[in-house]
Amino acid sequence: MSRMLSVLALVLSLAVPALAENVASPIPIGFAVAQTTNVALFGQEQVNGAKIAEEYLNSLGGVNGTPIRMVYQDTGGDEAGAVNAFQNLITQGKVVGIIGPTLSQQAFAANPIADRAKVPVVGPSNTAKGIPQIGEYVGRISAPMTVVAPNSLKKALALNPKIKNVAVLFAQNDAFSASETGIFQEAIKGLGLNIVTIQRFQTTDTDFTTQVTAVLGENVDLVVISGLAADSGNLVKQLRQLGYTGIIVGGNGLNSPNMFPVCGALCQDILVAQAYSPEAAAEVNRVFVEKFTAAYKKGPAQFSAQAFAAVQVIVEALKKVEATAKKKITAMELTEVRTALNKALRTGSYVTPLGEISMNAEGEVEQKDFYVSQIKMDADGKSGKFTLLPR
Amino acid sequence: MAAFFDLYGFLCIMILQQALLGYSLYFPLMAGQLSLASIGFYSLGGYVAAIMGTHPAFEAWRATLGWLMIPLEWLAALLLSVVLAVAVGLPALRLRGIYLALATIAFVQVLNVVVLNMPIAGGAVGIFGIPQAFESRFAYIWFFGPLLLLTILFTLRLERSAAGRNFMAVREDELAAGAMGVRTTANKVLAFVIGCALAGVVGAMSAPFLNTWNARQGTFDAGVACLAYVLIGGSRSKWGPLLGAALLVALPEVLRPLKDSRLILNGMVLVLACVYMPRGIAGLFAGRRA
Amino acid sequence: MTLAWFLQNLLNGLSMGSVYAIFALGYTLVFSILGIINFAHGAVFTLGAYLTYLLSVGQFGINGLLAGWQLPFTLPFPLALLAGAGLSGLAGMAVERLAFKPLRARQADALLALVSSLGVALILVNLIQYLFGAEIYSYPSDVLGSLPPAFIFKVGGKPVAVRTVQIVLFVVSLVMLAALAWFIHGTKAGKALRATAENQDTASLLGINVDAFILGTFFVSGLLGGLSGTLIGVSFGLSGPYFGVAYGLKALAVIVLGGLGSIPGAVLGGLVIGLGEAFLPPDLSSYKEAVAYALLFVILLVRPQGLLGGTTEQKV
Repeated sequence: MSRMLSVLALVLSLAVPALAENVASPIPIGFAVAQTTNVALFGQEQVNGAKIAEEYLNSLGGVNGTPIRMVYQDTGGDEAGAVNAFQNLITQGKVVGIIGPTLSQQAFAANPIADRAKVPVVGPSNTAKGIPQIGEYVGRISAPMTVVAPNSLKKALALNPKIKNVAVLFAQNDAFSASETGIFQEAIKGLGLNIVTIQRFQTTDTDFTTQVTAVLGENVDLVVISGLAADSGNLVKQLRQLGYTGIIVGGNGLNSPNMFPVCGALCQDILVAQAYSPEAAAEVNRVFVEKFTAAYKKGPAQFSAQAFAAVQVIVEALKKVEATAKKKITAMELTEVRTALNKALRTGSYVTPLGEISMNAEGEVEQKDFYVSQIKMDADGKSGKFTLLPR
Repeated sequence: MAAFFDLYGFLCIMILQQALLGYSLYFPLMAGQLSLASIGFYSLGGYVAAIMGTHPAFEAWRATLGWLMIPLEWLAALLLSVVLAVAVGLPALRLRGIYLALATIAFVQVLNVVVLNMPIAGGAVGIFGIPQAFESRFAYIWFFGPLLLLTILFTLRLERSAAGRNFMAVREDELAAGAMGVRTTANKVLAFVIGCALAGVVGAMSAPFLNTWNARQGTFDAGVACLAYVLIGGSRSKWGPLLGAALLVALPEVLRPLKDSRLILNGMVLVLACVYMPRGIAGLFAGRRA
Repeated sequence: MTLAWFLQNLLNGLSMGSVYAIFALGYTLVFSILGIINFAHGAVFTLGAYLTYLLSVGQFGINGLLAGWQLPFTLPFPLALLAGAGLSGLAGMAVERLAFKPLRARQADALLALVSSLGVALILVNLIQYLFGAEIYSYPSDVLGSLPPAFIFKVGGKPVAVRTVQIVLFVVSLVMLAALAWFIHGTKAGKALRATAENQDTASLLGINVDAFILGTFFVSGLLGGLSGTLIGVSFGLSGPYFGVAYGLKALAVIVLGGLGSIPGAVLGGLVIGLGEAFLPPDLSSYKEAVAYALLFVILLVRPQGLLGGTTEQKV
């Protein structure tokens, strides 16, 4: 039975081998993120970053003179949508590689498709464990946060050495926040502090009076939040309005200018763990922030910077492919370029707005710099910035 | 042709899979019961398969049973769904109409929160890297195709059987059916349980198909989508769920060139379909014959 | 368990409960007259918040089709609130004309209205996203004038705190409820409305223009939706075009809990769920999302018509 099934499956899956065809010019690069549904808040930031990258990198000559072209496909917020977008990019878009999808859960469903078609995938925002292990053609440039969480706690202790009691709050329905809080909790215990209460919430929540009441009921002098911008912003606002005066440490999800409109002036002084800082010193980051701010009248979010970095990494790897093959990408077969690109992605390092990053043989990102910043709001309480704290 | 399957193979399987979820609502509707519980059982079935396929506790089972593990997962999902469906259905089916629909929505929401809090279900990330039954996603047609065929055959038989006639009697007039000696509660629960069991098995088949399973599989939106398949397809036709799923699952893909405005048009099609095809797609064909 | 703790949770529960209640009123009005749940209500609620935002702040964000646009004028917040609510009322009427009336005219299966209203919701939400982008919008912090952000007082030496917006939400809900009760029980139009809800054919024989009353009901429902959307937007910000969805689903639990079509029921249901969530022990915060639905499920099993629902045969 099993053999029969697999024979039948084999027959079915034996598609007529694709005719040998060359890479189009401009070189198509797939970008599959959530442009609709409630995940679009992040997806549109990613698209914004990619657009800046496309324009900027092409102005520098693209891949040794051949321009690139980003092919955007909407994944929606679910797994099936991500698979469809990937299929579309692979067969219709004829892309050399794919950047996406937005959520880790989507990556687990869609990345095997690309892996099987031997199309390299670069995850711009997938942080769950197990992503690079999906397959040979799957990698990411978004680091799972292990280093930075303890750093931000140390900064809090430096600001107030008397901290004893800590309240931990996290968004239990967000994959990243739920794993980040584990790292935070370990680190808090490691520093000899007490966790007096652990409160859970949903990313869709807006009213946090229950959680805030629980926090205020204990004698808390440090609050540690792992969540996303909208929910965490409201949480911070309500904590402050209802009388919490101690230090607030936020995880990587709070590293977004989307915080500013939500908690306004009350965002002041939150310590935020960052995988990207707009203030980071690299020259490419300075250019990126400048171009982004000119285009969108506000500073880039981490999602935008990671999307930019993903495009940049692919373009630089394509240059390496040309150097090795000693011919133009557009003179090479698509399948050949895809395989060569996957290999090139994993060699050497890239100086991106995220700092220096590289991908190991497995496709896991190795990021050198993480940051801790403190939010400083403008006098009008409408906008603000993440001010880098010295390491 | 090959290019078509490369591009739309996954979509075709999705249509079969979603049609099956449509059928899981069609059975209770045959007995006049508007339930939205299916998506919860779908989610549950998926977790059963995902846990049995990945959890270390089942390592020995997997090693001994090999591919037999997969039908065993289906069976486990089926049994669990039946037991839970009876437990939920017996009290809930005293409710009528929209009250039943909302009670089943409530059940699904509670189930989602409970699952999110169960460590074995992997929290928000859920469970991933579920062992694949086939290399290609398109090959999952060997899961969903036969099940859909069986379901349609079952529906055909059911319509002609005493049980099916009882269902329809309850739908047309519950009081009269009761007076004529039809055991209304038993029939309603039976129709409900058949639907839930089907949804559970579809879930168990879908976990390897999607390679990942999480609490986002059982959302309210996904649940209402299943109802839309039945109603847009034609709630009184056995072909309704299949036709409805074919239209509604393919639609966003057909509209893909519209990029981020495609869901606006998707909504318009929903409204127009309701207005101009009040008896569903199947009603168009039936109307011509009549 | 101190008095302060009890008071604090009571305040939290009442204010959140009143939010649920005003949201639910919009559903209940339509249900009482048509016997159908209007799934587009959550989208009208969201639309109201965006419209008021646009009228009072006048500035689009950086994404969406209208990125960077600016309205040539802005209104003071109270005026914008009324205008936004009025426009939401019109949107409610559009929903009736698009999703409900054509189905009534064709005597289609009542269940189809669930799908068609869902379709309209899909259109509205994605239209908002298309025009405004998915980003977070927020009212300026001084939108309520110079009121302090919160009141903190001591009970038995322990602080009890309440945000000013919580009080505003609570008071406005009470006012809206009272106005609605007066409209339905104290005016001639209200009487006709009740007659229509009782039996459309009889009402029509009595010379009541049923069609106009249905349209009017959708206007009031949309108005209430837009108003409550704005208030919640002021309290929590507009976290994207989907921010009404979570409320929409919970409000369904509220109206059923209280009894479908019953206005006092919607209020009672809102308060029961709000208080139920507030008094959840802190260790069980992970189950907060389940409270409303668990309560609903249990109460339906004990009392299938909801807390204050009548025992008449229900329409679908």
